[in-house]
Amino acid sequence: MVRTRTLFFTTLILILLLSACAPAAVATPAPEENPSAADLSGIKTYLLDKSSELTGSSKSLKGASDRYYALAESAGFDYAALWESNPAEVSAALRDAKSAWMAASPVYEQMEGIVAGTPSLAEYDVILDAGASGDEDTENAVPFDLTLPDGRVLPKPGNLFGVLESTLWGTYDDFTTGIDADLDGNGTVDFGESLPEANVLKAGADALDLYTTELDMASSEWQPTESDAFTALVVMVPTMSEYFNSWKNSRFILGNASEQRDFVVISRLADIQNILGSLQIVYSEVKPMVESTDEAQAAQIEQLLGDLKNFVADVHAKEQSGYQHTPEEADVLGAEAQNRATAIAGQVAQIAAKLNITIED
Amino acid sequence: MKKIQQRFLIAILIAMLAASNILGAARAASDSPAQIAESIRAALVQAQLFLVNDPNASAELVSAAEALYRTGLSEQISVSNPDAHVRVVLAFQDLKDRMSSRDAAAFAAARAQAWTAILAGSYAIVEESIQNGNGLTAQTWLPVREFRTATRFSRPNVGATVTIESFIAGKTSAKDALLAVRADVLDTYQARLSESLHDLQTADANGFPARRAELAALAEGYFFILSPAYLEQRGSSSLAVAQVAFNDLHASAIGNPEQLNEKLVVVENALDNFRAAPLSPAEQSRRAGQLLRFLSLVPVEYGRGVVDGRGTKDIEIQEAITFHTGAYAAFADLKDLLGELDPSQTVRADIIFESLGKRLSEASTNRSVASPEDIKSQTKELSAILEGLIPEEWLKSSAQGDFDVIASMLDQMQAAVRNGEYALAESSRLDAYAIMETGPEARLMVFAPELKLRLEELFWNGQGNSKGLAYLIENRASYSEVKATRLQLDVHLSEAQTELTRNTAPTAIAMNAGIIVFREGLEAVVILASLMSSLKSAEERRYRKPMWLGSVLALVATALTWLLAHEVLQSLARYGEKLEAVVSIIAIGILLLIMNWFFHKTYWTSWLASFHATKRRLLNEETGLFLGLIVLGFTSVYREGFEIVLFLQALVLEGGVPVVLMGVIGSSIAVALVGMIVFRLQKNLPYMKILVITGILIGSVLLQMVGSTVHVLQVVGWLPIHVIQGVDLPYWLGTWFGMYPTWEGLIFQVASMIFVTGSYFLAEGMRKHRLSSISRGLVKSTAEL
Repeated sequence: MVRTRTLFFTTLILILLLSACAPAAVATPAPEENPSAADLSGIKTYLLDKSSELTGSSKSLKGASDRYYALAESAGFDYAALWESNPAEVSAALRDAKSAWMAASPVYEQMEGIVAGTPSLAEYDVILDAGASGDEDTENAVPFDLTLPDGRVLPKPGNLFGVLESTLWGTYDDFTTGIDADLDGNGTVDFGESLPEANVLKAGADALDLYTTELDMASSEWQPTESDAFTALVVMVPTMSEYFNSWKNSRFILGNASEQRDFVVISRLADIQNILGSLQIVYSEVKPMVESTDEAQAAQIEQLLGDLKNFVADVHAKEQSGYQHTPEEADVLGAEAQNRATAIAGQVAQIAAKLNITIED
Repeated sequence: MKKIQQRFLIAILIAMLAASNILGAARAASDSPAQIAESIRAALVQAQLFLVNDPNASAELVSAAEALYRTGLSEQISVSNPDAHVRVVLAFQDLKDRMSSRDAAAFAAARAQAWTAILAGSYAIVEESIQNGNGLTAQTWLPVREFRTATRFSRPNVGATVTIESFIAGKTSAKDALLAVRADVLDTYQARLSESLHDLQTADANGFPARRAELAALAEGYFFILSPAYLEQRGSSSLAVAQVAFNDLHASAIGNPEQLNEKLVVVENALDNFRAAPLSPAEQSRRAGQLLRFLSLVPVEYGRGVVDGRGTKDIEIQEAITFHTGAYAAFADLKDLLGELDPSQTVRADIIFESLGKRLSEASTNRSVASPEDIKSQTKELSAILEGLIPEEWLKSSAQGDFDVIASMLDQMQAAVRNGEYALAESSRLDAYAIMETGPEARLMVFAPELKLRLEELFWNGQGNSKGLAYLIENRASYSEVKATRLQLDVHLSEAQTELTRNTAPTAIAMNAGIIVFREGLEAVVILASLMSSLKSAEERRYRKPMWLGSVLALVATALTWLLAHEVLQSLARYGEKLEAVVSIIAIGILLLIMNWFFHKTYWTSWLASFHATKRRLLNEETGLFLGLIVLGFTSVYREGFEIVLFLQALVLEGGVPVVLMGVIGSSIAVALVGMIVFRLQKNLPYMKILVITGILIGSVLLQMVGSTVHVLQVVGWLPIHVIQGVDLPYWLGTWFGMYPTWEGLIFQVASMIFVTGSYFLAEGMRKHRLSSISRGLVKSTAEL
């Protein structure tokens, strides 16, 4: 009896042990470890600095927009009457709003390379700067509708910097009042001098403030990974084509013939340099990792990034000196920038593959 | 002043390039071929930009670039690809000739010719080096290449780079390395060729002569790189015709732009159905997997969108069309290869594809709505042809295709959430999960069960840092939340992909098939064997029969499920988890009832069998009891059987029937042995010991079942999830013991243990009460006597 009991318990225990151990018998080998990880804290520090600047500018823009809205409201949204009765305050409010926009936009471009290239933050790029309107491109449209203070809803109106730019500079009829105004008092109504639709301006500014604040919080929580860094480089560098296309179709090339409502104030070439600058910061953080695999290629990628930025800077400098590039020249330059960018992205992707780092979709 | 500044800058640039010319040999020795090639390319672009305003500077740049080529690249290129070398030399001559005329268009064309010829030369060096076993040289020259034009959404190919590393390390043969390099590089140049032709039309429409000429020359240059593949596939006369077409295109782009469109048509005809880069075996499998998966979903979606001959849900019909398009794209990529295997069947498949597509299109406009049965039947016919056509080795490793389809459906889910269409998002999520369940998940269960768990949580109702998709969609969460979970899911899906491509050795598959059967079978056997063995008396032994009957019925049902597996699993896959939850609840309920009966029965039959009233009561309960025991036998076995069928289906695809059968037979014997041991050993034990041991065994099984069932109920959202903070249990505790770190799981498991032990003590208490009653009765009787 005792023997039977002992045998029974022993068998039971052995069976259970065998069952528990069995999966380990065919356990798969652990994935290879990556070489020493890069210190990416510099990327986050840079991003947070810029994000803080951006939220500051957004709040200034919101403040100025609120002032303009209050003025318009007090005039019963009769914009002609508003301008006639209170030109000084209207001019001041709009001047402040435009200044704030012109401060915010380049700051965002200086962080766009990181934001747009990081999968967990990329949605903000669509909202703030890259997203199309639902009318233009349903697939790449912004994910939000804009609800105006008067209750109207603008479905998927386009990215917020674009909405605000076209409102403030009057390049899109639906967002303006049609009332021209000599805002700078120089005696002539120049390009961009018109009264914005106060509801659109306020709603856009409020939304910009909201999303830049959210982006700031998301950036604080974000822990950059090597995958984020390499993805940003591979994704953002080749967007030269998009940016050069915007530049080719902008007022800076086509003048008044341009139908583009965005990128009318700051040349896209300046934006491109800012984006590349942020990507240079990203690359500098991962360069030690790249060097551990291929020193020569690490140096070459760094040089190519610098050369590309200088290439764009040269074109911009020429533009700023008064040179008007022809559309074909712009096309050639755009193709060259795209080729250089593709080569950089390609090399970064090869290094990422050698380092076993995933480039996210 | 500005012109002086410009000249100064140009002078510096020329000086730098001149210095590099003087130091050409030394520089060439230190710079890699990629750096030299890039310097040449950049110099020629600058030369073109200066051509009109400063031809002298332009000429200097061209000379410097030519010197760089001569000292840095020509020696190797002239040996490996003499034709390419000649093209480079002629191009430089042409460039110099254009200086005086300042002909920007011809200059741009010559520049493009020089560059593409350098690319052709370097590619020839890479191929030759691999064939000669010289991996390091291949690695040195490979970076002299272009990549597909990258966008926000597409990534550069890395196949060639990774393969050459593997070739150098001796892990890849020259043959395979060559295939992979061709697949990457030739695919890139074919894409660039297509882009050039497309951009050529845009440049022509915009009236840009220099860009037009450049793009036509680029197209011709890329075709030059692809021409060996073209020759191999189409023959020399077709190649000659194509080369003439490209020459004509080039000439018309410069001299006769009004003929450009006509020449473009000729070029496009020459390129029709031409695929330079052969699909690697992995790509062949991937396409095959995509083809069959997408096709199988067409009738499923269509059936949901058409009721009583009318299109009721346009979204579902559109999804059917989307899946048809996806399937056809994969078929198009494989068509040439399939045509070599069986031309007539390939043609037949093509015809049916077209017919199916037409019917779907007509249904979407309600012009003519085919019945779901017709669509199903046509799809079945097409699938049968394709399954007969597609080589078996493509199908074995088609997990990649499954992951592609899952990704595609998750993209649809995301897009639906973005548009606020949560019902559609849920439908797409379920479709994605269904593919997961019937494909990769079963194999993950074997090879990487911890990943299976994580994926399940993210697909369903996980409450970790990223909430599950089902939870988010049900609560109409924001797009950014859904996207965040999708990103997490993509990370784990990628890990899963890596795991599944690693574990294909037959031994591993057989062992894992055996472990699945052993683990799943153990539970059923322990319950049944311990119960049966405890029914010792002649009267009790008859209660074994219904359990046997239930078990046998379950085995038959399992076998039938195996035979119908493909269709059954496909249709039930969407509801896999919920089905598992329902069956588990029934199984637990039955087990609890039987346990309860068992504890009481043991005493009643032992002590009260002589009482007729009790017998009559027992007899009245008999029918219900028999049915309960049949159901117990059935659910215990079928619940495990269904899961086994699911897992083994996937393993059969991986390793084939014989390999899997080996594992199954081995473990079935082991399971039967366990059952016999439990049965035999318990037979020799006294009743009390049997009671305790049976209780322990069944209690352990009950613990596992309750824990696993609670987990499944939480996954499908039928029970809330409250995670026990700070507790992180290893995945095997969940797999083997049903232990997951949630309060609901813990509470239910504790409650079930209380129930089991409570039943024991209750039975024990009743036994003692009766003993004492009988004793008192006996004492009283004795006293009366």
